[in-house]
Amino acid sequence: MLMRALHEESVELIFGYPGGAALHVYDAVFRQDKIEHILVRHEQGATHAADGYARSTGKPGVVLVTSGPGATNAVTGIATAFMDSIPMVVISCQVASHLIGTDAFQETDMIGISRPIVKHSFSIEDPNDIPIVIKEAFHIAMTGRQGPVVIDIPKDMTAPDKTFNYYYPSEVSIRSYKPPVSPDDQQVQRAVDAILASKKPVLYAGGGAISSDASSELIELNKLLKAPVTNTLMGLGVYPASDEHFLGMLGMHGTYQANMAMHNADLIIAIGARFDDRITNTPSLFAPNAKIIHLDIDYSSVSKIIEANIALFGDVKNSLTKIINKLNDGLNNHDPENFIPWLNQISEWKALHGLNHDLYLDQSDNNMILPQQVVQHVYQETKGNAFVTSDVGQHQMFAAQYYHFDEPRKWINSGSMGTMGFGLPAAMGVKLAHPNEEVVCITGEGSIQMCIQELSTCLQYNLPIKIININNEALGMVKQWQDMNYGGRHSESTYQNSLPNFVELARSYGHEGIKIEKNSDLKEGLRKAFSLKEKLVFVDIYVDPSEHVYPMLVAPNGSLKDIWLGKDKKA
Amino acid sequence: MNKKNILIILENKPGALARIVGLFHQRGYNILSLHVDAVEDTSEFSWLENDLNIQLKPNEVSKMTISTKVSDALQTQILRQINKLIDVLYADEKK
Ligand SMILES: Cc1ncc(C[n+]2csc(CCOP(=O)(O)OP(=O)(O)O)c2C)c(N)n1
Ligand SMILES: [Mg+2]
Repeated sequence: MLMRALHEESVELIFGYPGGAALHVYDAVFRQDKIEHILVRHEQGATHAADGYARSTGKPGVVLVTSGPGATNAVTGIATAFMDSIPMVVISCQVASHLIGTDAFQETDMIGISRPIVKHSFSIEDPNDIPIVIKEAFHIAMTGRQGPVVIDIPKDMTAPDKTFNYYYPSEVSIRSYKPPVSPDDQQVQRAVDAILASKKPVLYAGGGAISSDASSELIELNKLLKAPVTNTLMGLGVYPASDEHFLGMLGMHGTYQANMAMHNADLIIAIGARFDDRITNTPSLFAPNAKIIHLDIDYSSVSKIIEANIALFGDVKNSLTKIINKLNDGLNNHDPENFIPWLNQISEWKALHGLNHDLYLDQSDNNMILPQQVVQHVYQETKGNAFVTSDVGQHQMFAAQYYHFDEPRKWINSGSMGTMGFGLPAAMGVKLAHPNEEVVCITGEGSIQMCIQELSTCLQYNLPIKIININNEALGMVKQWQDMNYGGRHSESTYQNSLPNFVELARSYGHEGIKIEKNSDLKEGLRKAFSLKEKLVFVDIYVDPSEHVYPMLVAPNGSLKDIWLGKDKKA
Repeated sequence: MNKKNILIILENKPGALARIVGLFHQRGYNILSLHVDAVEDTSEFSWLENDLNIQLKPNEVSKMTISTKVSDALQTQILRQINKLIDVLYADEKK
């Protein structure tokens, strides 16, 4: 019944791991051929893989785990999806209902444990409810502000010796759940008036614009406005990086021009973005002269950190369409010329302290390989078309800064949770959804070891991912903070020569491995890796361990114009 | 900081109360008092039935009153967070 309901939800793939409480369900998995099950090597991997699948397709990811340790292992991945508003349905099996509350073998209160990190959860109390609960779970995961939903199913609810009248509802409506759809006209007019009155606007788009599939509306809007656009870490790709109006990412490690533009703006149009603390720096010092228009589907995201002057509640795709329609109705005439002095000012900032995207051209061995060069070479070799997953640390920020994303859903990273270990399993989910596309995991030697067991899954399902391990022999981001704020005391951020031989490790899993230590080998090595189309290749690249990520906002107590540009250089 | 009373109408389902209490804890809001009853006589909430275009059956929803100490700015946020919970039909300051 469960499998049939999942099939009716158009589920193609489930990521999971079996166990005692899940045996009935796994027997049903075996006896059907509509849905493919991917056996991971750790339940955390299942959740991240489902998450990568969801982020790259826009469809919900589905996870199946057993009770107790199976469920608790899934927690990190559920929290990761929750914090980034990714649609996911997690089916966690439970001990039989008569055993609940008795401290039975592998009993854990999964509903209780997951409560703060799910959009909603269900406990099955009657097998007849399974189809309707599945329907509601997918509806909740996919609508409004998306997020993970847990369904806890006691073992006896899945017993094969009972039969039921199966009925799958085609529609569902939950009377206590009605997310906003479209903003009211008056608010839209106020927003348009504010845009027409502004001289220094910035469009600031985040992950919500991707969830809403609003990329084309955003591009269309800016064909009319010709205003500068910045994206959050979660929003990269929603506005094409190669467009002349794109400022790059903003925030903690955002570009100089993006943060300066935000700080000096007279109008900020937030589009599916939530003024996270990595974006605002000190909220009381944030963009002192800006009016705020906030487009969001979640009421609680608006005026939470930064007070909005104009709020447009609804699916941001609809909100953008309404703004576009108003700008086109002949009554609200915008002259893009108004923004030219502002754009010129931003170009000056960019010329002054913008990122250097030509580092890859230096292929001499005078210096060690820089991590930024690695990302630039990967960008060149993949012609900017790859799906890129990442982990957490310096390598993640370098990937975000130097790989230019021209399309949404191509940059897959754990933005809000910052979960090390996300990259490889997420790449599996992406590759399974897009078997003919290049999928690259840009990781660090710290992060990759948190879910490295999934190399075995990659062999089983033949997933030729390219792993780019930016190896600085340290928990680089931690070390950077220790350099900057703790007098260079590297407390527990290096491993004292205990790293594995990654090339041999990859080979022992049946994959290919390439080690690169010299700048002059970088281009060739990467070219070779990408030429091995049928193989997972683990490229272990030794980079300058002393490199820091810049720009970096001065924190605490800084604003968006207080920026470290280098080790001894402040803007 | 002002004392505010919040009225919440929510589905009388397992776990619904825990979600409200959990939310207050998770977001660092404090609870001065909390009272909850299943709603036997639904006539008191005919206004809600009209607003949402629904029909309530006896004991199908619960009525909860929470008093809390918050600033005006945070109060909107608390109400929005409560309303965001899937099982909540209504939450607002109790007048
Ligand atoms: C699961 C988890 N534990 C700890 C952290 C804190 N943390 C953030 S970055 C980082 C270092 C990551 O090292 P590595 O993967 O080698 O990346 P690098 O910064 O060196 O590029 C750590 C420990 C985290 N984000 N996630
Ligand atoms: Mg490292």
